[in-house]
Amino acid sequence: MRRGAALLLMAPALVWLFVFTVVPVTMLTVISFWSSTAYGIRPVWTLDNYRTIVSNYVYIETFGRTLRIAAVTTVLTLLAAYPMALVLSRPRRAGKTAILFLVFLPFWTSYVVRSFLWLPMLGRNGLLNMLLLKAGIVAQPIDWFIYNEGAVYVGLVYAYMLFMFLPIYQSLDKQDHKLEEAAADLGATPIQAFRKVVFPLSLPGVFSGCTMVFLFACGAYVTPQILGGASTMMAGNVIGSQFQIANNWALGASLSVALMMAVVVCFALSAWRLGLLQLFAGARQ
Amino acid sequence: MNYAAKSKPLQKSRWDLARVVYTVAFFMFLYVPIIVLCVLSFSNSSVIGFPIHSFTTNWYRVALASGVLVDALVNSVRVGVASAFVGTALALMVVLGLRNFPRVSTVLLPLMILPIVMPAVVTGVIMLIFFGLTGVRFGLFPTTFVVHVTWVLPFAFLALYPRLEGLDRSLEEAAMDLGARPLMVFRRIVLPLIRPAVISTLLFTFTLSFDEFVRTFFVIGSQRTVPVHLWILITEEVAPFLPAVGVIVMAVTLTTAALGFASSLIGLERVPRLSHIKE
Repeated sequence: MRRGAALLLMAPALVWLFVFTVVPVTMLTVISFWSSTAYGIRPVWTLDNYRTIVSNYVYIETFGRTLRIAAVTTVLTLLAAYPMALVLSRPRRAGKTAILFLVFLPFWTSYVVRSFLWLPMLGRNGLLNMLLLKAGIVAQPIDWFIYNEGAVYVGLVYAYMLFMFLPIYQSLDKQDHKLEEAAADLGATPIQAFRKVVFPLSLPGVFSGCTMVFLFACGAYVTPQILGGASTMMAGNVIGSQFQIANNWALGASLSVALMMAVVVCFALSAWRLGLLQLFAGARQ
Repeated sequence: MNYAAKSKPLQKSRWDLARVVYTVAFFMFLYVPIIVLCVLSFSNSSVIGFPIHSFTTNWYRVALASGVLVDALVNSVRVGVASAFVGTALALMVVLGLRNFPRVSTVLLPLMILPIVMPAVVTGVIMLIFFGLTGVRFGLFPTTFVVHVTWVLPFAFLALYPRLEGLDRSLEEAAMDLGARPLMVFRRIVLPLIRPAVISTLLFTFTLSFDEFVRTFFVIGSQRTVPVHLWILITEEVAPFLPAVGVIVMAVTLTTAALGFASSLIGLERVPRLSHIKE
């Protein structure tokens, strides 16, 4: 009886999610096996879309590049965020809440703004070029700061930093600091204590952060479009253009299925290793 | 005693120096771009960038005068408020219902999380196909609204779930023993206890909706929310008032988010958090 009422309470959300995620994903999968004509999609079953992806070097290359950029972004974000989380998680640090607030602040700005921010930094008329010109290091503005893979890394690390920082900070913050003291009492140097005690205990946070950043980076669309060049387009951009420019829904659908599979498999592996809720420790803010 | 102990003061100061340098670099990375944008928004030049010759507030006037930005702001607030309320309400119902089950089912959780795991572009594409094939007109309501509710629902669930898990049920049971109907129990007992959590979740989901771009872009048709407006300004017209628009948008989101942060701090103090989430 009570469970019946509880199920009734949960039903609207579950129906909502079923209708607006499971059904559309099913439609996408079906359409990825249809054929595309100049007049739109036709319910004629075919494997052509997938054949196109596998046989066309451009698509393979794009997927490879997407996975590579996502992986490198994950590592860079980890290297940038971990020390900050470590510094802030130590007890009795004055103004800790204020500093935490400062770490959060930039991530409350719009994602589109966050990606755009690097245009006036790295561009031809950007801050970096102005400083170099003023200092007399270069005579002409440098063009290769932007519209390449490097700029995409800067933008992605900037965009996703918090998703790495938060779970790591949480796992470091809840550690019992007596463990570290005990290690020191037993003669461990701070570096040894970090390597043998602190870091292993923070691994769930590292894992959670890496999964989130990797997932988001795999689906990146805005950053490569604004900061990248023609040769750094990622899977998201290629999929988007099938719908916005090429009007080839069937091919776009099959590319989407491929990206979704790659991401969901990565995610399922992480979730299986760590547990779903733990994985989203950082998404809860 | 030993070598390590003797060299400790020197090592410590070196570590301190490294920490300071790193912290400064970290915050410069985060904040210099934002400061640059703010400064450039006042630059009296039709080219976005340096050098700056003189300052003006003109770009703010231009940005607000066209009315497109104001319209986009209104659209964003409408969709944001609507999807925050619906998303939070739906999530709250799930969380309340879940308390009658000993463990979160292995089917339910992946379904709840799915909208976060899906790459943004893929979500945009599936909703484009879904609404396209079912013949729903693209615009703010219902298409953008539906996409936003679906997007914020999992986050609202993740935010509310741990807060309600730790809630002591004996008060509710006492109320029920005294004859209160379930709705009464919710209104008089549960809601007052979880109000801070609900308010911070509402604000959090509002900012999620307000910021959402990629998913929105595929289903909004010719309408504009703030991120869509920004995107069009960036990719199509590189307008000189772009930094001013960026600053205005930042100010709006930061205010809402700061409110959310403040209310979540209050919430943390008031709501008992007995346990960490278990699966």
